[in-house]
Amino acid sequence: MNFQASDEQQQLADSLARVLQDHGAFEQRRAISKTEAGWNPALWGQLAQLGVTALGIPEAYGGLGRLDGQDEPGELSGGAVDRQLAMQAFGHALLLEPYLASCVLGATAVREAASPAQKEALLPGVAAGEALLAWAHDETAGRHAPLWVETRARRTADGWRLDGVKPLVLHAAAAGHCVVSARLHGQPDEPDGLLLFLVDTRNTGVSLRPYRLIDDTPAGELSLRDAPAQLLGQDADHARAAAAIKTTLAAGSAAACADMVGSMACAFELTTAYVNTRQQFGRLIGEYQAVRHRVADMAVHLEMARSMAFAAAVAADDLAAPGALADMARAKLAIGRAARALCHAAIQTHGGIGMTEEYAVGHCLRRIHVMDQLFGDEAAQARRLKP
Amino acid sequence: MTDSLNPLELSAAQAIFRDEVRDFVRTHLPPEIRERLRCGYAARKQDIVTWQRLLHTRGWAAPHWPAEYGGAGLGPAERLILQDELQRANAPLPLPFNITMLGTVLLKFGTEDQKRFFLPRLANQDLWFCQGFSEPGAGSDLAALRTRAVRDGEDYVVDGQKIWTSSAHLADWIFALVRTGQGTRKQEGISFLLIDMRSPGVTVRPIISIDGEHHLNEVFFDGVRVPVANLVGEEGRGWDCAKYLLSSERTGIANVGLCWERLDCARQLAASVQQGGQPLLSDSKLAAELALLEADIRALELTNWRFLLDPDTARKTPGFASVLKLKGSELMQELTTLIARIAGPAGLERRDAQSADATHPLAAAVPRYLFFRAATIYGGSSEVQKDILAKTILG
Repeated sequence: MNFQASDEQQQLADSLARVLQDHGAFEQRRAISKTEAGWNPALWGQLAQLGVTALGIPEAYGGLGRLDGQDEPGELSGGAVDRQLAMQAFGHALLLEPYLASCVLGATAVREAASPAQKEALLPGVAAGEALLAWAHDETAGRHAPLWVETRARRTADGWRLDGVKPLVLHAAAAGHCVVSARLHGQPDEPDGLLLFLVDTRNTGVSLRPYRLIDDTPAGELSLRDAPAQLLGQDADHARAAAAIKTTLAAGSAAACADMVGSMACAFELTTAYVNTRQQFGRLIGEYQAVRHRVADMAVHLEMARSMAFAAAVAADDLAAPGALADMARAKLAIGRAARALCHAAIQTHGGIGMTEEYAVGHCLRRIHVMDQLFGDEAAQARRLKP
Repeated sequence: MTDSLNPLELSAAQAIFRDEVRDFVRTHLPPEIRERLRCGYAARKQDIVTWQRLLHTRGWAAPHWPAEYGGAGLGPAERLILQDELQRANAPLPLPFNITMLGTVLLKFGTEDQKRFFLPRLANQDLWFCQGFSEPGAGSDLAALRTRAVRDGEDYVVDGQKIWTSSAHLADWIFALVRTGQGTRKQEGISFLLIDMRSPGVTVRPIISIDGEHHLNEVFFDGVRVPVANLVGEEGRGWDCAKYLLSSERTGIANVGLCWERLDCARQLAASVQQGGQPLLSDSKLAAELALLEADIRALELTNWRFLLDPDTARKTPGFASVLKLKGSELMQELTTLIARIAGPAGLERRDAQSADATHPLAAAVPRYLFFRAATIYGGSSEVQKDILAKTILG
C-alpha cells in the first residue's frame, strides 16, 4: 500500500495551486464565466506551460505519460493517478477551462481508439494545450447507462456519415473536433456495433447549440445529420471501440472523483475560515458545539472521499485488475454522497451568505452536483455493485 | 516475487504474512467458536481464552509487543492485517483490555517487575483484566472521577465506584483510574492502579443491557487495600497513562475486518430470507443499501491504511483516530441495524444467547443490533470524538 504522491506529482500540484490562486481565483472565475467563451484561454496557456495538459498522453505523442512510446492501449498508466492532484486543484478552483473535456476524455478516447497516424495528428496538439477535443458520448435515453448509443454510423462512398444527437458535450464550442460514439449495428445498450469517430464541428451536417451547465461550465448539444466523420482506428473494430469507451468513462469518472474532492476541500476551507471569523451572540460561531460537530462531520466526509478518489484513480489506470470495476463504482458512489453532504453542511454553516451567487461555497455544491451526474450518479453506481 | 505496482495492494511480504494468518486461522480456530461468531454472537470468555492461547503460540496474542515479553514485534501494517484477517474469519480478537490497553500502558510506563510479572500472564490469558475508568459522575468527562485511593503504609486504600465495566464479572483484575490527590486541573492527581478483583471490599453487580445480556457491571470498592507496587507510572500522573492508552489505539479502532464480515453476513442472510416467495436480496432498495455500505466500508478501509502510512501520523493522530472511530462505529451500527431488519419477523423470537444451540442464523440479529447502539458511546462517545476532531481543525 502506498498513498504518497510522487515528488513530481506534488511539485506539479504546488505549481498549479500557485497559478490557480493568481489567475483562477473565484472573482476572476466569476468574471470569466460571464464572457462569451466562458473560459479563459490565458489561464489555459499557463496550465499548458506547466505540462499538466500532457499528462496521460504517451511520450511518443508529445505527452508526459509513462507509456514510453509503446502503442498498445491499456498497457499502463492511463494517467489518472498522475492527474489526480491536478484534478483536485481544478475542483478546488472550480475550473472552467476544458481540462476534463479535452485532456481527460478526448485524449483518452483518441489514445485508446485511434490509429498511430491519427494519434500523431491529434495528440501532440492536445498535449501542448493548442488543440482541444471534446467527448460526445452520452445520450438522453441512456441516462446513466454507460454504453447506451443510438447515434447511427453509415459507410458511404464518400466515407463515414453519422446521424444522432449528443445532448451533453463539455466544451463542444471550443473544441475543433469531437470524439463521437456511434453504432453500426445492434441495440442501444450493446457493446457490439459501437465505433468511435472524429467529427469536425465546422462540417456541414453538424449543428451545435451551446449552453452552460449549472456550474457555469461551457457545454453544447451536438446534432448530427448525415455528418461526415473520420473513423478512429484503422478498421471497424467494435471490441476496441467499446473498450476505449469504457476506459474513457473510467478516466472521466476518476477525474470527477478527484474534482469533487477538490471542491469539497474548497467548501470545507471556506467553512472553517468563516466560523472562526463570524460572530453571533457575542462570540465566534466556531465556538458553538453544534457548529463544531458539523465541521467534524465534514472532516470525516472529506477524509473518506480523499481515500476513495485515490482508489478511483488507481482503478481507472488498470481497469482489468481484480476489484477495479468495483472500486470505480464504490468511489463515485461514496464520494458523490460525501460531497453532497459536505456541501450542504457548508452552506448551512454559512447561513445567508452561503446562499448568494457572489460567494463561492454555493458554487461548490453546483460543481459537485454536475460531477455526481457525469459518468453515473450515486444510484447508477450502486446498481453497478453486485447485491 | 516482486512487489505489485498497484499501490492499493499489499507488498509481497505483507501478502505472505496475510496468507500465514489465514492459514493459521483456518487450521486452528475451533469450529464452534467460528460458528458462534459467524452467527453474530459475542465470543464467550472461554472462546477468547482458548483462542488467545492458540494465537500466543505464534506471538500473535500480543502482536505489537516486543518478543522478550511474549509479543511478535509486529509493525502497524502487520498488526492491522492480523486484526483484519481475524475479524473476517470469525475469530475472536485477543482480549483488548489485556493486550492493546493494559499491555501497551505497561510497556511504556510499567516497572521492569510489573512487565515481567504481568505481560506474560496478559498474553497467555492467565489473567483477565477489565477496565475501571467510567464512574456514575464521570462518563465522557472522565477526569471528573472520584474513586479515591489514600496512601496507608505500603498500600493504597481504595473507596468508590466504577460503572459500565465490561466483563468485570469475568475478570481476575481491574486496571482503574483513581484519585490520589487534587491538582489545579482535574486531570492532575489521578493515578493508574492494578487491583486484584479478589481483594476484600470489591463487589461486582451486574447491569443487564438492552440486548438482555450481562456484559456490563458496577464495581464497588470499599476499603480495598492495593499494594503500592501495583501503581503504574507516577502517583498523580495516571492521566498520562490513560491518554496514552486511548491515543495508541489507532489501527484497530475502525474495525474494518468486522465491517466486511458483517456485510457478508448481511448478504448471506438476505439471500436466504424469503419475502413473498423471492429472496430478499432481489429487492432493489436493499441492494442499494448494501452497495452504499460496501462503498463506505471500502472508504474506511483505505482511510485506515492512508492514516497508518502517513509519514506524519504521530502529529495527526488525535484527529485521525477520531475520524476512524466516528466512521467505524457509525458503519457497525448501520450494518447491525440492517441485519436486524433483514432478519425481519423471524428475528423477533427471544432466545438465550448462552444456550447450547445458540447457532440459529437469525437469533443474534436483534440482540446484536441493540448491543451495538453502544458503539458510539463507549471508547469516547461520538460527541467527544467530534469535540476532539473540531479542536484539531478549528483550535
